[in-house]
Amino acid sequence: MTTTSSRELARRKREPEGVLRAVRFGAAAIPHLVLFFACFLAVAPFIWSFFGSFKTFKELISSADLLPHTWTLANYVEIITRAHFLDAFANSLIVSGAVTIASLFTSSTLGYVFAKYRFRGKELLFGLVLSTMMIPFVVLLVPLYLTMAKIGLVDQLGGVVVVGLWTSLGVFMMRQFIEGIPSELIDAARIDGASEWQVYLRMIVPLIKAPMAALGVLVFLGSWDNFLWPSAILHSADKQTLPLLLYGLRSLYWSRYDLWSAGSMLTVIPVMIVYVFGSKYFIRGFAMTGLKG
Amino acid sequence: MSASRRRLGTLLARPQVRFGAIVLIPSMLWYAVFVVIPALQTIQISLLNYHLLDPQHSTFVGLDNFAQLIANPLFPIAVVNTIVWTVLALVVIIPISLVLAQCLVIVRRGRNVYQAVIFLPVVVSLVAVALIFRILMDPEVGLFNKLLAGVGLLPSSWLSASSTALPVLLGIASWKTIGVIVVILTAGMLNIPSEIYEAARVDGANGVQLFRRITIPLLGHTLALVTVLLTIGSLQEFTLPTVVTQGGPGNATFLYNMLIYQEAFVNLRFDTASAAALLQFVVILIASAMWLRLLRPKWSY
Repeated sequence: MTTTSSRELARRKREPEGVLRAVRFGAAAIPHLVLFFACFLAVAPFIWSFFGSFKTFKELISSADLLPHTWTLANYVEIITRAHFLDAFANSLIVSGAVTIASLFTSSTLGYVFAKYRFRGKELLFGLVLSTMMIPFVVLLVPLYLTMAKIGLVDQLGGVVVVGLWTSLGVFMMRQFIEGIPSELIDAARIDGASEWQVYLRMIVPLIKAPMAALGVLVFLGSWDNFLWPSAILHSADKQTLPLLLYGLRSLYWSRYDLWSAGSMLTVIPVMIVYVFGSKYFIRGFAMTGLKG
Repeated sequence: MSASRRRLGTLLARPQVRFGAIVLIPSMLWYAVFVVIPALQTIQISLLNYHLLDPQHSTFVGLDNFAQLIANPLFPIAVVNTIVWTVLALVVIIPISLVLAQCLVIVRRGRNVYQAVIFLPVVVSLVAVALIFRILMDPEVGLFNKLLAGVGLLPSSWLSASSTALPVLLGIASWKTIGVIVVILTAGMLNIPSEIYEAARVDGANGVQLFRRITIPLLGHTLALVTVLLTIGSLQEFTLPTVVTQGGPGNATFLYNMLIYQEAFVNLRFDTASAAALLQFVVILIASAMWLRLLRPKWSY
């Protein structure tokens, strides 16, 4: 009798606790559910579009099934052979590669000078570089176009590259990180007979490798995606970058959704592959732009 | 003369002076040619009646270009659309990002994976994304309307009706942008010392109270930053409406930067385009200053 009642008591005690645990588990699951839903929304359009790019035009516009009934590579073949796609891909790679390498070099050298050198007018120059970040690009659009016309860079990839050789955000970021390197370390290297280039290459660059990688990703993507300036100065079909070519598909192949899918996928997939391996640097780069304030 | 040249010679022989000169001189030249002089030229051109073929004979017209700009029937349309666009962007993106960031802070396990996937739309090409959504939102054959029909709802015209085009386009912009805002907000939230939360929990605060009374006020700096970044970016939006809708249907998605581009490269009116760009600059400065003042954090840690 007494044993059952005590067991009963224990069960009564346990019951609300069990409910509480279930509630707590449910509450803990909510953020996971929210995030899972957000992740689904983030990737679903790509997945749909990826499989869509292997469908025939007829199937793409008629069926709502995810997987193609008949797989075809015809869209890819057509866009690569007929739409200057390889030209555009190469142009984008050249422009973005050149801009990335150049701005990594200019940002880190200028950042080094602004962080560790002392000379009259340094603060003024640095302030000037920083203040240019506030100027919207459209303010420079017309005079830059006139300048390009004067030096013969209209409809030339060089006209896109030359505008991206320096980046104020990069200079600022690199200066911040180089400032954190102890000056004693640099002086010691100088006393040991290292030239300034050796100090820069052997000491500074290895110490800021991670932020440089993040900056490189940021600059590359910005350039890979750049639309306004290239569309202002690049006109010939063989001079187009990828965003311009994709934009051109709209009028060139009106409503040819199969070609649009294939073109988008060819633009998106290389970046995604790199992203899978280095998402850390992608996220860090963008987070750094936000942390500047 | 030769003495001063010799002094310059010895000065340049010092390794740091030489390195500094090699770095600084090209940099400052570039900034002069590609930023400072163009910025000043824009001011100059905005005050001229600019002759495209014979710039030397452009005449000074004062603020006439600004008057012509405002008289352009597309001007009020672009201004209203851009304001609506910016307000919608703030109202939609910031609350959703706050919720996602809070979830990321809570979960711990899988945080990096969730964050990487939510961030994915940020890194892919905007023009490609624009095409993908155009296909999905085709009113006749697009997947979205098939899905709506599948659950028994009426089809939407998405981007092809002037009443829905702007909000739908903003949906695409939000989908593309939220990842960055979430990453910045998450970093800000993780920076808040956990002792504060523990103290509040000891005092009996629940989760919602913690969010409202601690997270939001102490996130002040980050929140102000995100608001300013979004405002500046939204006021300058160009690529998405250009690629997805070309400003249509019937100017419903015609934004201010498209007006500048059209004046410059379609109408070849470099003078009014410059005036419009300067106006844009002033508005951005005022909007940023206003936000930083309004959102100045009252609390710090």
